[in-house]
Amino acid sequence: MNPTNYLVLSVILFSIGAAGVLVRRNALVAFMSVELMLNAANLAFVTFARMHGNLDGQIVAFFVMVVAAAEVVVGLAIIVTIFRTRRSASVDDASLLKL
Amino acid sequence: MTFPWLTTLIALPALGAVLTALVPSGRGTLAKQVATGAALVTLVIGALISIQFLFDVDMGVEAETYEWIPEFGASWALDVNGISLALVALTVLATPIVALAMWHEAEDEKRDPKAFFALLLAVEALTLTAFLAQDVLLFYVVFEAMLIPLYFMIGMYGGPQRRYAAVKFLLYNLVGGLAMLAAVIGLYVQSIDAGDPSFFLPDLVALDIDTTTQWWLFLGFMLAFAIKAPLWPFHTWLPDAAAEATPANAAFLSGVADKVGTYGMIALVLPLFPDASRDAAPVIVVLAVVSIIYGALLAIGQTDMKRLIGYTSISHFGFIVLGIFALTGQAATGATFYMVNHGLSTIALFVVVGFLVSRRGSRQVDDFGGVQKPAPKLAGVFLFAGLSGLALPPLSTFLSEFLVISGTFLRYRPAAIVATLGIVLSALYILWLYQRTMTGPVRPAVEGMPDLRTREVAVVAPLIALLVVVGFFPKPLTDAIDEAVGPTLVEVGVEEPEPLAPVAEHVEEGTGR
Amino acid sequence: MNAPTIEYAELAPLITIFGAAVIGVLIEAFVPRKVRHPVQVAVALLALVAALVQVILLAGTGMVAAVGAVAVDGPALFLQGTILVLAIISVAFFAERRLEAGGDAFAPAASTLPGSEEERILVRERMLQTEVYPLALFAVGGMLLFPAANDLLMLFIALEVMSLPLYLLCGMARRRRLLSQEAALKYFLLGAFSSAIFLFGMAFVYGYAGTLRFGEISEALTANIGQDGILLAGVGLMAVGLLFKVGAVPFHSWTPDVYQGAPTPVTGFMAACTKLAAFGAMVRLFYVAFGGMRTDWQPMLWAVAIATMLVGAVVALTQTDIKRMLAYSSIAHAGFVLTAMVAADQTATAAILFYLATYGIATLGAFAVVTLVRDSGGEATHLAKWAGLGRRSPVLAATFALFLLAFAGIPLTSGFVGKLSVFTAAIDGGAAPLVVVGVIASAIAAFFYVRVIVLMFFSDPAPEGPTVAVPSLWTAVGITLGAAATLLLGIVPGPLLDLAQQASLFVR
Repeated sequence: MNPTNYLVLSVILFSIGAAGVLVRRNALVAFMSVELMLNAANLAFVTFARMHGNLDGQIVAFFVMVVAAAEVVVGLAIIVTIFRTRRSASVDDASLLKL
Repeated sequence: MTFPWLTTLIALPALGAVLTALVPSGRGTLAKQVATGAALVTLVIGALISIQFLFDVDMGVEAETYEWIPEFGASWALDVNGISLALVALTVLATPIVALAMWHEAEDEKRDPKAFFALLLAVEALTLTAFLAQDVLLFYVVFEAMLIPLYFMIGMYGGPQRRYAAVKFLLYNLVGGLAMLAAVIGLYVQSIDAGDPSFFLPDLVALDIDTTTQWWLFLGFMLAFAIKAPLWPFHTWLPDAAAEATPANAAFLSGVADKVGTYGMIALVLPLFPDASRDAAPVIVVLAVVSIIYGALLAIGQTDMKRLIGYTSISHFGFIVLGIFALTGQAATGATFYMVNHGLSTIALFVVVGFLVSRRGSRQVDDFGGVQKPAPKLAGVFLFAGLSGLALPPLSTFLSEFLVISGTFLRYRPAAIVATLGIVLSALYILWLYQRTMTGPVRPAVEGMPDLRTREVAVVAPLIALLVVVGFFPKPLTDAIDEAVGPTLVEVGVEEPEPLAPVAEHVEEGTGR
Repeated sequence: MNAPTIEYAELAPLITIFGAAVIGVLIEAFVPRKVRHPVQVAVALLALVAALVQVILLAGTGMVAAVGAVAVDGPALFLQGTILVLAIISVAFFAERRLEAGGDAFAPAASTLPGSEEERILVRERMLQTEVYPLALFAVGGMLLFPAANDLLMLFIALEVMSLPLYLLCGMARRRRLLSQEAALKYFLLGAFSSAIFLFGMAFVYGYAGTLRFGEISEALTANIGQDGILLAGVGLMAVGLLFKVGAVPFHSWTPDVYQGAPTPVTGFMAACTKLAAFGAMVRLFYVAFGGMRTDWQPMLWAVAIATMLVGAVVALTQTDIKRMLAYSSIAHAGFVLTAMVAADQTATAAILFYLATYGIATLGAFAVVTLVRDSGGEATHLAKWAGLGRRSPVLAATFALFLLAFAGIPLTSGFVGKLSVFTAAIDGGAAPLVVVGVIASAIAAFFYVRVIVLMFFSDPAPEGPTVAVPSLWTAVGITLGAAATLLLGIVPGPLLDLAQQASLFVR
């Protein structure tokens, strides 16, 4: 199968993720969309690694998974704290700071 | 190694400023004494330096260059010639007089007088550096830096609208300064392109800059100097600052600090951008003539005495700029000489008005009337200062105005004729002001107004003496200026128009009339 | 097969900081609560000073370490040294305990609910937050690595190591905790979003060049013809991630909120150090890896620089909160740095290095002054409350005025020399119109700096205005150092300029 298809898929996934961050109001969903974007990038890295015939891209994918895990820890910590304080995870409720 | 006269001249007031600032709060008198002492010592050094140039006695004053920012090719380079000497002399003379005039001004306020005196000395040091700098970056740094102390002097010690006046003063000058910054950098990049990055003035003068670039750089420098000077239509900050600052501060501001603007025109703009200066001269001359007439007309219409003097300054600055951009030796000498004389005369006017304001508690012309009955000496010095403002012979202001107009006449005949109208108007505003405030029936509030005190005599006497003495013996100073102006005009590359008569003859005719 | 070698000596500053950060985590676990605070502060300061000494000893090195992943060269070492100096002062501000009646600027435990009984008990018992020190050390480690990263993977890892602790630090304020938590949320979501974009861009660049190393990418630019679309998309997306970190328009919207909500010592640390690290990384990436295609990215940076300077300066005019105002001013400053970046040569690198150092020092000092002006609700950050500060506390107000004048670029302050050098680099690099915009933006910016000075010195004090707290020796020394450096670098900038010039050559 042509590797370009995987690239197209990764672009689609990335776009869905980006759209999700911009459209969805729930912090958790927005955060999950970010994770989707990271994984889209992973797919692109692995595909390019295959096209170039070297392993660099695959190594990056592993590192990104670790980073994503760390990001989940930090992100959930922040979201949970805010949720406990105000019983809502909606981004719109976080409005003390004017935009 | 010879004694670094010029650096000493700058270091003394700077040191004085630091010492004054270190005087503990509450010891106001001590702070004033320290500051005045430092200003007097600076005056002595300035006088010693002047001797070499005025009377050809070798005091060992020479150009000084020390490394400052080698990465930019900028140096602490100082030199003195006739033009800068005239202004240095004005500055060192004016500072102790202004300090003395301010003696009681700061006390009425709840503010500590120490800050004013420290800032005054700081401005003196920066102004002296500007007049002596041979490095464009050094000049720019002090040109901008002096805004900050002046800003605090207006904003902390002035009248009720002082905040507005201080902010307006700062923003106008800052905008001009930033335009100049872009031009300074542009000029520097020209020297990089020529292979030798440098801010040293003679190096930059030697550059061959193409005309279009010259025009842009000229605009940047000229905007800054036109705001500082101030030239119509960039003048509107001056009347506010003059009205709201304390009289002594206003005197220093328009008498001395603003001269950096006109000094910059003659010492930087002309030699650096000769082609652009030549091409733009007609435009600048028109602006200068508009300034002369506009300032004079508005001065006639003022009811606030300090504001009135502010407008007369705009008119006088118009004469100075006219003289510079007439591009004749006679006019340029006259303009430089004018800077000194206008400084002396404006300081005298502001200071005397300050005496009146502090006695009456009002700046309005209408609140005065018949002052000459209770305070004849005060009225006398007021009249004298006023007459120096309208350039009455044989006061020194007459000669400079005469040189400017006759020098301009050689090249721009209509401009010179219109400028003469400015002289007529100046007679009108000064004499009318005198008539409204000093003569006529004595107003109730003016009755019992005390006459000049000893301190006040000490402030005014040197000014009057100088205006008279320089009026009778201008030759050492005009010769020194003439010597420096010549090379500048050669740099611009203008042909000297056929003189109607040699300069010296004019002098004799003028003073003898 | 040869095992790869690691140059431990050259990587020593990084190892020291990360090692100390791990030790800090262990201290959290094993050291009794009573003595934890002094131990953590001591470990953090020791590690930072040790790393600074190591950086100074490395000065003059120009090599690529860790199998090509980390560059140890002039720009990296210059920025690392500056970041470490700023971090040392920041940690001193973190440890300030005189202002909050025995507490510091952080909530005793970030996990307690604001206003809960738990929180009250902790405050009453004078418990202190100690996790901030290892977090700060991790962030500093990331910042040291960021401008030194010489391949894409390291760049991404450094970005995350730097950012994640900062997200947490932002949410830990002792006062106005909800505001602080919201700032953390906002920073985190937008930060994660921008890193994901950055990562995706990285994938495209990798797809184009087939390698992660900067040097090899640069070679690939000349070798590969065609496929330019994929490369441009990659560079553009990576630029978004980096421009977000430096707070350039249109990726700046997080800056004012986060600066306002975060505990002020953290804001100062973030404003100074993050910007240094991010600009360092950006300059290396664009000059070393993408230097061969500068004509493609220069127009983009032109547009961003103009927008950043103007938006930063104009929006700052409308601010009424001192921290938000400083945030917009930092945006405008990012724009000034970008003007030099457009020039893309060695002069520009030197100018950027100098500018960042002077800006960092002044910023840290300015935020430290903000922590000292307090009323019953904590810091009094509303501008109206600063009225008449010059009469109440002339020395503090004069210091703050000095920092503001440096931001405005007035001569005899370090800000002027910085502005002079970036503008010179820009004109020299053919970006004269950018400098004209820069000058206009400076004039607008001067207006709001002046406004604060007017308020402090020429206005009458408000009757119930804030008091100026007396800080501990550490904070006082930090502010004094900042003010002295700001003034001194304005009068004799030669030595630092010289250092920046010597340090301006990238290894490839």
